[in-house]
Amino acid sequence: MRFRTAAAAALATGLLVPAAAQAQTPEPSYPEPSNPGKVAPKPSGKGKTRTVCKQKRCAFRTIQAAVNKSKKGDTVRVKDGTYREAVRIDGAKKSYVKLVGNTRNPGKVVLEGRGGKQNGVFVNGADQVTVRGFKARNYSANGFFFVNVVGYTARDLIAEKTGVYGIYAFNSKGGTMRDSEAYYTSDAGFYIGQTPAQVRPIRSIVTNIESWGNPLGWSGTNMRYVTITDSRFYNNAVGLAPNALDSEKFPPAEDNIIRDNEIFWNNFNFHEGAPFKIPTEGTATLAPVGTGVLLLGGRRNVVEDNEIFGNYAVGVAAIEGILLQDNPQARALEGNIVRDNRFGLNGTDLNGRELGYDGNGAGNCFAGNTGVSVTIPADGSTLVPCPFTGANTFSAEAQGQMLLLAGKASVPAWIKHPHAPKAGYEPLELYTK
Amino acid sequence: MPKPSTTRRSFFGLSAGAAFLCTIGGQEVRLDDPDAARKADALAAQVKRPPGAAPQDELTFPTPEPQPGGRKREYWIQARTRGWDVAPSGRDDWHDRRIRGKRNFRALVYQLMKPGFAAPNGPPVIPGPTLYAEVGDTLVVHFRNAADTLGQALTMHPHGVRYTPDYDGVYLGEHTRVGGFVAPGEEFTYTWEATPDSVGVWPYHDHGPNHTLNTFRGAFGALIVRERGAKVPDVEQVLFLHALTPPVTGLPRAHQAINGRTAAGNTPTIQARVGQDVAIHVMGMDDEFHDFHIHGHRWKDPAGTFVDTPAVGPNETITARFVEDNPGRWLYHCHVFSHQDGGMAGWYMVSP
Repeated sequence: MRFRTAAAAALATGLLVPAAAQAQTPEPSYPEPSNPGKVAPKPSGKGKTRTVCKQKRCAFRTIQAAVNKSKKGDTVRVKDGTYREAVRIDGAKKSYVKLVGNTRNPGKVVLEGRGGKQNGVFVNGADQVTVRGFKARNYSANGFFFVNVVGYTARDLIAEKTGVYGIYAFNSKGGTMRDSEAYYTSDAGFYIGQTPAQVRPIRSIVTNIESWGNPLGWSGTNMRYVTITDSRFYNNAVGLAPNALDSEKFPPAEDNIIRDNEIFWNNFNFHEGAPFKIPTEGTATLAPVGTGVLLLGGRRNVVEDNEIFGNYAVGVAAIEGILLQDNPQARALEGNIVRDNRFGLNGTDLNGRELGYDGNGAGNCFAGNTGVSVTIPADGSTLVPCPFTGANTFSAEAQGQMLLLAGKASVPAWIKHPHAPKAGYEPLELYTK
Repeated sequence: MPKPSTTRRSFFGLSAGAAFLCTIGGQEVRLDDPDAARKADALAAQVKRPPGAAPQDELTFPTPEPQPGGRKREYWIQARTRGWDVAPSGRDDWHDRRIRGKRNFRALVYQLMKPGFAAPNGPPVIPGPTLYAEVGDTLVVHFRNAADTLGQALTMHPHGVRYTPDYDGVYLGEHTRVGGFVAPGEEFTYTWEATPDSVGVWPYHDHGPNHTLNTFRGAFGALIVRERGAKVPDVEQVLFLHALTPPVTGLPRAHQAINGRTAAGNTPTIQARVGQDVAIHVMGMDDEFHDFHIHGHRWKDPAGTFVDTPAVGPNETITARFVEDNPGRWLYHCHVFSHQDGGMAGWYMVSP
């Protein structure tokens, strides 16, 4: 959810946000987006395996050296240890490469980024690369980053305290993120963004991930064809935020499905303290602290069958893509569906408000959600049942109310309820060492 | 894999039309043996994505919406391969005998999924999920080609409903429209209309570059369109009559199958009670003509004539609909003798 000047200017005047003109942090440098094109053909045969460890017995002492020797379809196995590297897997010649650490205990194969290294593993233009069984920490940009690829597998990964995102796929078609965790990143734990529009899309499947302690559990700027399921988003400022921004191509977010997840306790007010570099400008600062799911613009996104509880601002909020200035045609919410979600854990762990919608756009509807009592607007007039076609009824008052919740301005407007205990989880609202 | 001998195949195999031709990527393939199927797959995997519509094919069509009062019926369906046992019980209950020899082959099936392909929503079986609509509805089918190992484009092509060329789901060489070539990993959303003349029970099946072989492998299912508010039968069963032949399965003999299984006890056992409104929909899904007989029962054909063994051809549907009045254990079967003896039969159990 990178976000820069144009939207910042618009927001500085329109929203209650901290001064947007704070000192700029240096932008991580990314390769130019290029068309991921068609998937590279699968190599025949099994490929070679190269082993990396810190001891003399291994042919390779650095992961990068083994990757450099690898051809299409080869495997690099990395033994337990700490590797102070920024691994690059670059170009079509590295398609189908498998980079495998400790899949049972990813925390034992640590990629250490301290000292200004940008990405733990960076995959550019190499299709169908698999990265499994690593923990990346302290990188200035991302833990695991896939860009300009058709297909990838990110599995059994941990990202900790990375400067922007934990696990990130950009300008790519299709891919799998699963069985992974990200926490204490400076922007979003997980992120798929700028997905090119496709006639016969290749879907990205995200399953069994855990994202906590981030400004955003999931960011999805201009993301498409993503299914997020069977995952947990908690103790972030915002759980998930499919959104539309000018700063990346192809707005807005479209055709995504968020179903069967647990989205709870997203009340982490990182503005007051965090174990990571606290962002002071950019969209992450605008994330309305205390929100489960935020649809900021977008088309045909479906939020269904989720368990949503203990988010003090609002469980699911949908608002016009107000940050889009250069792409006014993509601002309107269209055909989004919020249905069959269960709010408030049977009344034992209520959200501050269950639903909020400003009535922007057309064909947006709400159906079968249980445990809904407090909404924006209060009379629920924008929350029309499904199926619904035609224009929704816009409520300037509702939009105004929702804008007042931007960033940490939401905190005074929280409606707090006690949490139900949840085994293995502790609520995080204010970080203390 | 040992090559089946002509003698073993001569009866079951040839009677099931084992030697057939299919055309893939402009080349004719004679599918006489399992190796030819492999060659057909290799050819199909090489079929390139069509370059795009020719000028005369450049008509564009809007995606239809449901009629007033109708609704979108959304399905998420993936095509995938799986190992498939043609007779899990290992027995033919009717003849009370063991079914000998290898029974497993690699089938291609349609599987119902949860929205977004988040998880399975039904088993991967032959036939694929039955799709339901009423007149005025649209069927919105999100189809995903998850048969990665097959490495070829697949589609879903429906019968009976109305669709524009984009949603035909047919590979047409260089004239192929958008829904006629869904490569591995890709998905495509078909929108089909249930018009008044769609009322009935119809098949859907693969119609990609390798459609004959893939349909014979199990890539088919049914869709049922009813009048708005029409009564749903108390008992409703779809039966596909089809042969699983050695060229398709690599098995040593042909199995005459119903819904992918052979012999009573493996084929569907239909349950009903006296007084119930029963509908059994029967479709042919191979190279043969069949007929369909239920012991102890008669019903009217569309012309109003009482029948008990109507004929049914490839992709044709007949429906046996009656009010049950005759309790007992009954046999149903194709009455083409070589088919019934090869396993195209099942039980119909009626309680008083």
